[in-house]
Amino acid sequence: MSVLKKLSQMFSGSTSPKNAGEEATAEVKESSGSPGPFAEQPPVQRRVIQAPVIVGQAEEKDSSGQILIKAEPSRDYEQCKFMVNRPLFEGHSWLFSNFEEAAGSPLAESVFSVDSVETLLIHESTAIVTKTGAKGLSDWEALAREVGEALRKILEGGTELISKDVTAKIPSEEVVREDIQKVIDTEVNPGVAGHGGKITLTAVMGNTVTIQMGGGCQGCSAADMTLKQGIHNAFRKAVPYIGAIYDETDHTAGANPYYR
Amino acid sequence: MPKLNRFTVEIETGETGTELPVHFTINNHKLPLDDTQGGVGPGETFSGGFEIRSFAHSLTLVGPESGQWDIRKMKVNYDCEHTPPYSVSFGEVKLDEATEVNIWHDPPMPTWDV
Repeated sequence: MSVLKKLSQMFSGSTSPKNAGEEATAEVKESSGSPGPFAEQPPVQRRVIQAPVIVGQAEEKDSSGQILIKAEPSRDYEQCKFMVNRPLFEGHSWLFSNFEEAAGSPLAESVFSVDSVETLLIHESTAIVTKTGAKGLSDWEALAREVGEALRKILEGGTELISKDVTAKIPSEEVVREDIQKVIDTEVNPGVAGHGGKITLTAVMGNTVTIQMGGGCQGCSAADMTLKQGIHNAFRKAVPYIGAIYDETDHTAGANPYYR
Repeated sequence: MPKLNRFTVEIETGETGTELPVHFTINNHKLPLDDTQGGVGPGETFSGGFEIRSFAHSLTLVGPESGQWDIRKMKVNYDCEHTPPYSVSFGEVKLDEATEVNIWHDPPMPTWDV
């Protein structure tokens, strides 16, 4: 075969080496369909999806009537989650930002009586505690035991856990949704739009909200900072009765996330 | 993120199967799985793995070149450096020529009773 003929075939994409494997075949398939030289289509960008993770160990059953509390620190060790086998604040969530806010809520008062507890977030049957300066597992081992004892003491007492004043501050889901959507539309999205970002409210349950970060925010290395310092602050300032804020963004998915 | 020495994946196919070979991507590099056993036809079970010896910024299972592949269940076993081996099971997912599914999962955080 002449060099000219080979070059012509190369540019037209009409052939592949005879001994090419399936990888090469796939590549030709992906780039085929181009009408002529220099007009090859880029390979098809596949979308990364998530499969649900099946939790291996079943939750321990409360057959003995005992109060069971499990501690699990976060990956950055900034906070520790306490999973309790009974409800702490059913249907709602609440953030106690400091000791003063805990006044009147026995469960929060008890947790804040433990030294170095910074904030407490209660949601359904979990309590999430943050601690100043925690950097490793050893920072949580003793503290988690103290927090567990504080939670157990109140739960065994059988008294009211969260003040009725807190519950009274929480409006209906519809109002929560409207108020949060308004903050997103008027403050948050105009702020992140400059970076091509977009925040979407995906779920409201009681006063707990779930958002998704899209556009330039999805996969951005600064997404965590934007979420914690920007979005959380904006939400809590404008809607003080908001409880837990969850981000369900898959920051590794999509065509162009930072991580890939 | 720990260094991933090796991973193996066990896949149970649902009602719609596909054809071998099964590919995965590590940090966006597409490769076929090694040490494969079984099949990916309807109701069949397949297993394969790969010696990665690198950091998995992304690890995905690639969908078929054409058609659909119904995966009923997957179990991924990870052997990472300085971390005890761990496994994660994933539930039902449908893949096609435009999709791949994430199969990387960070090692679980320790939990203890308090």
